[in-house]
Amino acid sequence: MPAILEAEKIVKRFTGVVALKSVSFDLQPGEIHALVGENGAGKSTLIKVLSGIHPAGSFEGALRVDGRVADLKKISDAEAAGISVIYQELALVGEMTVAENIFLGHEPVRGGLVDWLKMDRDARELLLRFNLKLNPETLIKDLGVGHQQLVEIVKALARKSRILILDEPTAALSGPEVEVLLNILRDLRKQGLSIIYISHKLEEVFGIADRITVLRDGESIVTARASETDRATIIRQMVGREITDFYPRRHATPGEALLSVQNLTVADAKSGKAMLHDISFTVNAGEVLGIGGLMGAGRSELLMHLFGAWGKRLAGSVTLGGAPFDHPTPAEAIQRGLALVSEDRKRYGLVLSHSIGFNLSLSSLKRFATGGFIDQQAELKKNNEFFASLRIKAPNLETRVGGLSGGNQQKVVLGKALMSEPQVVFLDEPTRGIDVGAKLEVYELVNQLISAGKAVVIVSSELPELMGMSDRIVMLSRGRLSRPILRAEATPELLMQNAMA
Amino acid sequence: MNSKFSIRDFSNIFALLAIWIFFGVVSPTFVSPRNLSNLSVELAITAVLALGMFLIILTGEIDLAAGSGVGLFGGVAAVLACNHHWPAPAALLVTLIVAVTIWGLMGTLIVKEALPSFIITLAGMLIFKGLHWKIIDYKTVPIAPSSEPTMFTLLTTWFLPPLPSLLLGAAIVAALVLAEMKNRRRRAEAELPLDPADIAYSKLLIVAQIILLFVVVANQYQGIPLPALILGSTAFIIHMLTQHTPFGRHLYAIGGNAEAAAISGIPVKGTIIAAFAIAGSIVGLTGFMQTAYNAYSTSTIGAEMELDAVAACVIGGTSLRGGRGTIAGVLFGALIMASLLNGMTLMAVEPAYKLFARGIVLASAVWMDERMKRA
Repeated sequence: MPAILEAEKIVKRFTGVVALKSVSFDLQPGEIHALVGENGAGKSTLIKVLSGIHPAGSFEGALRVDGRVADLKKISDAEAAGISVIYQELALVGEMTVAENIFLGHEPVRGGLVDWLKMDRDARELLLRFNLKLNPETLIKDLGVGHQQLVEIVKALARKSRILILDEPTAALSGPEVEVLLNILRDLRKQGLSIIYISHKLEEVFGIADRITVLRDGESIVTARASETDRATIIRQMVGREITDFYPRRHATPGEALLSVQNLTVADAKSGKAMLHDISFTVNAGEVLGIGGLMGAGRSELLMHLFGAWGKRLAGSVTLGGAPFDHPTPAEAIQRGLALVSEDRKRYGLVLSHSIGFNLSLSSLKRFATGGFIDQQAELKKNNEFFASLRIKAPNLETRVGGLSGGNQQKVVLGKALMSEPQVVFLDEPTRGIDVGAKLEVYELVNQLISAGKAVVIVSSELPELMGMSDRIVMLSRGRLSRPILRAEATPELLMQNAMA
Repeated sequence: MNSKFSIRDFSNIFALLAIWIFFGVVSPTFVSPRNLSNLSVELAITAVLALGMFLIILTGEIDLAAGSGVGLFGGVAAVLACNHHWPAPAALLVTLIVAVTIWGLMGTLIVKEALPSFIITLAGMLIFKGLHWKIIDYKTVPIAPSSEPTMFTLLTTWFLPPLPSLLLGAAIVAALVLAEMKNRRRRAEAELPLDPADIAYSKLLIVAQIILLFVVVANQYQGIPLPALILGSTAFIIHMLTQHTPFGRHLYAIGGNAEAAAISGIPVKGTIIAAFAIAGSIVGLTGFMQTAYNAYSTSTIGAEMELDAVAACVIGGTSLRGGRGTIAGVLFGALIMASLLNGMTLMAVEPAYKLFARGIVLASAVWMDERMKRA
């Protein structure tokens, strides 16, 4: 059978940089083909080539759809050829309904007016066809990220797409939501759709893909049937080196309690509804506490509340370093030795339009201020130390953060948190959306913190990461905390049971 | 911080040269020492107000009440000095405190109640204009009870004599050279990229020549006018504040990403309130200068000045979304606006055409700003 989509020796140059050296790959009808590779391997550039964002002529090599040379000059050409991309950042209008979003830009029209009845009927039919229990009249903003993602897919299908490209579709989804999505993709495959699936999560890739293509440094390294390769091989091909211990956790002897939380009940400040109920835990010096749970269980809210950035406390008390620590502002939290690395680094972590140096020292400016003025020499020196020790890949400190890869952005956020010299560090999904190499560096950093007698709290959706990095694990389920599980006792089944309790 | 020339710098310099050459040819008095001295006073008034606006725009907010404030505070000081016979220093000081308080309260209202600054300052614009008219009772109020010079009248009539002017110019140039040397040494130590020495110092040479040329031309009239000195001091203070203090970094961070700034431990609300309070003092100061330049407080003083201030910021590359902009850019933008207005006044252009020109300059500055971002 001829490939539905075929890329042959694609080379894409930007001024001064070669983004794609030579990428060849093909997509068969009714196939799910996974693209994996570290950040910067060229996946995003390839998507842009396939979807007409980089128009034909701006790259070398051949692009064929149904065996014929495809001349994709703009995005609408790709759409006309049946190619749709579902991006990490969803392109939905929050204030509109599911049905309106599905038909956005393609509204059924009668006599020059939108045919609302037909739109509603067609939307229901589409949702039904893919077994989606969604009301077409719900506003998008009232849906969870998982459901929004599904709406985005239905929107592509409404445009008669034959090829779906999904870029990190599960980055923001919880375990069960991921399962729902993967099942729907399997369904679509059965109905003959072809899917390019891009993900950092190899478990998912092996769970769903028929074939896997590994990209590294702008080259397609290998394409293999998922059934004929394995995780270790793929990782080796991705990084070009052997990784023996994926979770290089060193153990320190836990010391005294640094943070202790007693019977905490917290409500959402806007709705007044209690979101966290009767939560108690302690974290000791030299220890990593893992917090798991499903999306929406209140994990980020818990960290944000302790940091003084979310919610209204109804009951409970907190001590930090032996002294009461109630109702802080983020500034006071930092002053007292608490640091938070938020899960959403673009929203809560970085000032994207500014430089690496600007961001690194942002939480520590007081430290450099003498007589009200910033000692810029001292600041530069400190920034340079962090720039080097974190191995941030960028020309220099003045590089804009917005242009860095996810892993390097994450390093800047980590650097900002660490520069404030914290005793207790909260890491909320510290490795989300970053590549394998950067992940290892984050884990190494956790080791260094522990060895230096700090306490670390990691929130993660990935069970292997929780089990690999924590000394003790607690699971949050609908705002309630499970009893701590020791690392040695932890099994994925036990953790999931607690998460769904 | 990085001082590379951009396309924007070139197009701005080109626009300024075009404006000057045009007015210089059409109306030769434009380049007379006397008019250039007036231009420097008008520039000072526009630029000082723009520097206050700059602080607010950096945080992503806006101040549409600035022009009305200029009229109001000039009027309050004039009424106190002329009708109530207060000594000028007392009248100015009390009015300044009132200005800081009112702007601080406006900032507080905006951040504590999470109201859009666009609307609150628009309301302020109307209310302050009404207050101004009420206070001067729709009349023309002189700024001094007699022809005796006071601190208020001297604001725009005092000149630094030629010899001290020359010395001051030389001192400023020397300070700039020292600052550049220190900056280069620091960047070299930190292994940051440096402009080649010859380029960096020739840029400095151009700046030095402009400063000295300004002093020489000003000396041909009566020396450096006081407003130019006020502008220099204000620019220096705002520069130190925005580039060398944590407060300044906080302004940029809040405008760049308020949520990230909050999580980074920055007191977002307090910083915005402080920005408004400082801007309030600048509005007061501008009101004194503008009213003194006019010699009377009248109901039209300050009209549309907030828009010239916004235009100066935007022409100079300040992003209306906040988080981006430089002092040098704002000064340059103010120079373009002031030159345009001064030249058109000299040519006795119909008021309608003045409005057209300001509108077109404002729109094209924003248009360029958006284009630059996309490029």
